Amino acid sequence: MNRRTATSVGDVGKYVPALSSALRPRPLTELAAWGGPRLVRGKRVLDLGCGDGRLALGVAPFAKTVDGLDPDRAGIASAKRRARAEGVRNARFAVGAAQSLPYDDGVFDVVILSWTL
Amino acid sequence: MVDALHEVHRVLAPRGILVDARPDSRLLAYAERRSGGTYQRYGVVNTARLEQANDRASDRAIEHVVREGLFKPKRHGRIWHRVPFDSLAALRLYLWDHLRFVRRARWTVDAPTRRRHANDPFAIRRAVRYEVLERVAP
Repeated sequence: MNRRTATSVGDVGKYVPALSSALRPRPLTELAAWGGPRLVRGKRVLDLGCGDGRLALGVAPFAKTVDGLDPDRAGIASAKRRARAEGVRNARFAVGAAQSLPYDDGVFDVVILSWTL
Repeated sequence: MVDALHEVHRVLAPRGILVDARPDSRLLAYAERRSGGTYQRYGVVNTARLEQANDRASDRAIEHVVREGLFKPKRHGRIWHRVPFDSLAALRLYLWDHLRFVRRARWTVDAPTRRRHANDPFAIRRAVRYEVLERVAP
């Protein structure tokens, strides 16, 4: 896993803005609780409400593909920048709403609603 | 919320997995002071009423789609997560800004003790619940 992804959240001793993903658990901490990397390994994953891509980029090293969707354009722009910077090639991000998903039927193996519903 | 879960059901493959994870407002959060490698509890922090109502609505939405037979629960649990701050003032500022929590902690240590340690690192420790569900064919 990319080192930057592993250390980009949860920095100790700093005040960070309330909406920042740095206030969330590390992606691998959450993934471990849910069942570990095998939950997403080789799977087509949708991170619904992905924000700045915190979780999507965290699970991308294990997944076949990761799609991130969020209504926040700034968040999606940030996720795309992070994906480019971290060299993540199997993640795509788009602006959209959960009530009308821009995907065909049955195209995902795992859908994650992390701090979304 | 139920509409979104119907959409999730649509885009999931047969026996696909849905993970729902979010802060657990049914449990108090804690304001803690870090001392060396350990944390001491200095107070408790309630979730704002509006957020508690939103969380209950989310719970009901999940229960609804389970009752509809679209998903079946596989497992659930909870993790505890610390949000770190470099001082008591930073923690207070966070509570003031953050809509999820009430704006003031309920302190369980006296004011002189808080003042004495005001420049120490603090944290808010809160519960995050998760539920893993499996898509059921309609």
